[in-house]
Amino acid sequence: MKLFGKDVTTKKLLDVVKERLGARGLLPPSEDAGLDEGTEAPVEAFAFAVESMSEHVDATQGLPIETHRDGVAGQAVVLAKQAFRKVGQLFINEALARQMVFNGHVLDGYSQLTAEVVRLRSKVAALEAQLAKVEAPPKPPVLKVPKLTAKAPAPKSTSKPPRAPKRR
Amino acid sequence: MGAAAIGFQRALRHLGITGEVFAGEVAPGFDAIVHPLSKLRVEPDDLVLYHHGIASSLVAKVLHLPCRRGLVFHNITPARFYAGTRLAEPLVTGRAQLTALAGHVDVAIGVSAFNARELEAAGHRDVKVVPLLVEPERFAPSQADAALLARLQLRGAPRIVSVSRVMPHKRVDDLLSLHQELKRIAPRAQLVIVGGYEAGQAAFKALKRRADALGQVTFLGKVPHAQLVAAYRAADLFVSMSEHEGLGVPLLEAFASEVPVLAFGAAAVPETMGGRGLVFDEKHFAALAEVALHVTSNEVMREQVVVGQKERLADFSLESVANALRHALPERRSAPKRRTTRPRVAFVVQRFGEFIVGGAEAHARQVAMALAPHAAVEVFTTCATDHLSWKNELEAGTSRDGPLTVHRFPSSRFRNIRGFNRLSDGLFGKPQDLVTESRWIADQGPTSPALLERLVAERERFDAVAFFTYLYQPTVYGVPLLADRALVVPTAHDEPPLAFHLFGDVFEQPRALLCNTPEEEALIRARFPNAAPSSVVGVGVTPLAPKPERFRDAFDVHGPYLLYVGRMESGKGVSELIDFHQALVKAFHDAPTLVLAGSGELKPRGDRVIAVGRVDEQTKWDALGGAMAVVVPSRYESLSLLALEAFAVGTPVIGNTSGAVIRGQLERSQAGAGYDDERSFIEAVKVVGEKRAALSKKARAYGAKHQWPTVIDAWLSTISRISRHRSER
Repeated sequence: MKLFGKDVTTKKLLDVVKERLGARGLLPPSEDAGLDEGTEAPVEAFAFAVESMSEHVDATQGLPIETHRDGVAGQAVVLAKQAFRKVGQLFINEALARQMVFNGHVLDGYSQLTAEVVRLRSKVAALEAQLAKVEAPPKPPVLKVPKLTAKAPAPKSTSKPPRAPKRR
Repeated sequence: MGAAAIGFQRALRHLGITGEVFAGEVAPGFDAIVHPLSKLRVEPDDLVLYHHGIASSLVAKVLHLPCRRGLVFHNITPARFYAGTRLAEPLVTGRAQLTALAGHVDVAIGVSAFNARELEAAGHRDVKVVPLLVEPERFAPSQADAALLARLQLRGAPRIVSVSRVMPHKRVDDLLSLHQELKRIAPRAQLVIVGGYEAGQAAFKALKRRADALGQVTFLGKVPHAQLVAAYRAADLFVSMSEHEGLGVPLLEAFASEVPVLAFGAAAVPETMGGRGLVFDEKHFAALAEVALHVTSNEVMREQVVVGQKERLADFSLESVANALRHALPERRSAPKRRTTRPRVAFVVQRFGEFIVGGAEAHARQVAMALAPHAAVEVFTTCATDHLSWKNELEAGTSRDGPLTVHRFPSSRFRNIRGFNRLSDGLFGKPQDLVTESRWIADQGPTSPALLERLVAERERFDAVAFFTYLYQPTVYGVPLLADRALVVPTAHDEPPLAFHLFGDVFEQPRALLCNTPEEEALIRARFPNAAPSSVVGVGVTPLAPKPERFRDAFDVHGPYLLYVGRMESGKGVSELIDFHQALVKAFHDAPTLVLAGSGELKPRGDRVIAVGRVDEQTKWDALGGAMAVVVPSRYESLSLLALEAFAVGTPVIGNTSGAVIRGQLERSQAGAGYDDERSFIEAVKVVGEKRAALSKKARAYGAKHQWPTVIDAWLSTISRISRHRSER
């Protein structure tokens, strides 16, 4: 464990802590922990939406049954929800039949549209890159002149000097 | 996020930018401060700042708004803490929406550098960091609920406090583990957890069972601001075990409450702490208990930590937030500057017109009229005539009132005075947070966004903008918007709302305060030590030649009479005055008649009481000239104009001396007598009756000092100073 804080000598404080833990016969904290300031990975919006919509496209299927209550009350709630679904599933299917058809079309349309957007985005990126090349100002001509730096003693080289090509 | 939006709104006002807060769902009672999203109408040049967290249906709307769009990211708890629950999906969806917004916003803001990094990872470019607002004065010892503070302090020590909702990622279970270890080495240790919880939830019940088994653990739940401050102030150490924070506001509130902080360094916690307090990277509870005991028992260390923590708060001040916003938002086009020699002044006042008798509004009109020959004066006001409801009874638009140009704007919200009084009763006398104070101001009204938008748009036309009365919404919102040219005539007196911190914007931001009396100036300086430069200016009085007989004939008034002119309201002390006068009538057969002029909610009745209703200007002076004495019954006054008018025609004043201002006016003039109960009222009437001639002489002498030329000179020199300072910058 490490302590951070610029208003306190944290090493000294940790030494005191370790000493006290030792006196109590307790193990000191580890030395190799570290701060975790890592950010979360981003979620790709289109892919996530398609995946999530696919998962929920069947509106007749309920979400997993859960309750925030514990004990007997919690069990009773779960049982009641299960019973409601079992008894009512036939009616749920009937009531949501049109919704199912609609959901299917929405998912289908959304998938097609996002796929097209992704294709167009990559095409735009490629075209922009080409445009940038075309619009880039031409490089100024290179004037090949010998370097005008003062002669300095050549440094000692550890690598071998390049060999002159053999004359035939 | 609601509090953050209100804080940003306030900071934007300090940059001269108007704006309203909209939300998908508005909690009951907050409709004055937050509008439903369905009411949002935008122009292409507008900028909508969308505050994003967990998945929201607002994103779809934001993506299609036909204006500039900005995103303020408050972070989203990682879904791994809620795997297998229904909360997991909205958390991931929120992150997907964050990615979807990239490329569709003109401004991307993280409320911490940590959040800014997540925005960049999600594809946002040119991301800016704007911190959230933390006001240390709201966590001062005076803001703590004394009863709760005493109760908590009576318990054992060390007292560990943590503030957070009881949610899995906040790791309340780890707080209990620390408490368990701490009790081994400090058996009287206390743990106080502040924050909302669901009592019926299985997870909370398990925590509660464990807490009860350990002992000395208190779940305070969600508490009002004053109790929150009491909890912080009772703490020897603030501990956070949270495993994810996008910015830890409670950590900063603990800094403001002068409590050392020990926090687990997850996500943005180390950045929030800025190297202050103590951050740890491993939850070794026995070691942390030793750290906690050492910090709480070592006074020198505690002091070092607290001093460092307070320094960190400068990064979250209103100034820092406003500066960060200034750099984050796109540049605004500035209007061309006007060049004229005659000063041009805007007067902002909640109601305006000849129909208003007395009060700050009449004061504003008198000053405007007296200033008009020397400056171009334009009045910005509402269409309301009734200050209780703010209903639009006058036509909106521009009209003339003698030499003045008057712009009237409609109120967009009417006040239910009963509901408002109930709200006030609940808030007054107790410290409040920014959101609650903002809600009160929004309910107070009058709400007229069009008025402020027009003023801001035309700001360059004016050398100065004079706001009348500190207490109303146009002043509270308008002063920070136009601070570089604002002067305020506060008309403040010692009343409960003056305790609100939000009024710091009114007293500290303008370039000048023009007070009515030395008492008012002293009161403001005592309450707001950083108040803007102030001077005592007041008003002038130009009496019309009085003909008392004309008044007596018109209203059939015989013999000596006491006169009150003003609003017929209990708040003005009129009911009390009538009661005292009736006691006088019962005790003395020759008691003077009480004449009451003005209108209002009260219908005065009584023996030898004559109510003459609202009277014109000449009739008022006729009445003043013939009165034995003028009575000023209100204890809440910043200046009694009525008293000055009475003095100007040599009529003594009997004033309610419960208020410092009337007491001061009577002391300085020596031209009247004071009262604060029935007995002293009767005594005052007797004194004035006996010494009227001498008092009348003193009244005239004092009245002669309050002349318009002196007042107008002070106004013109203040306007010139404001204008000069601005051009020098």
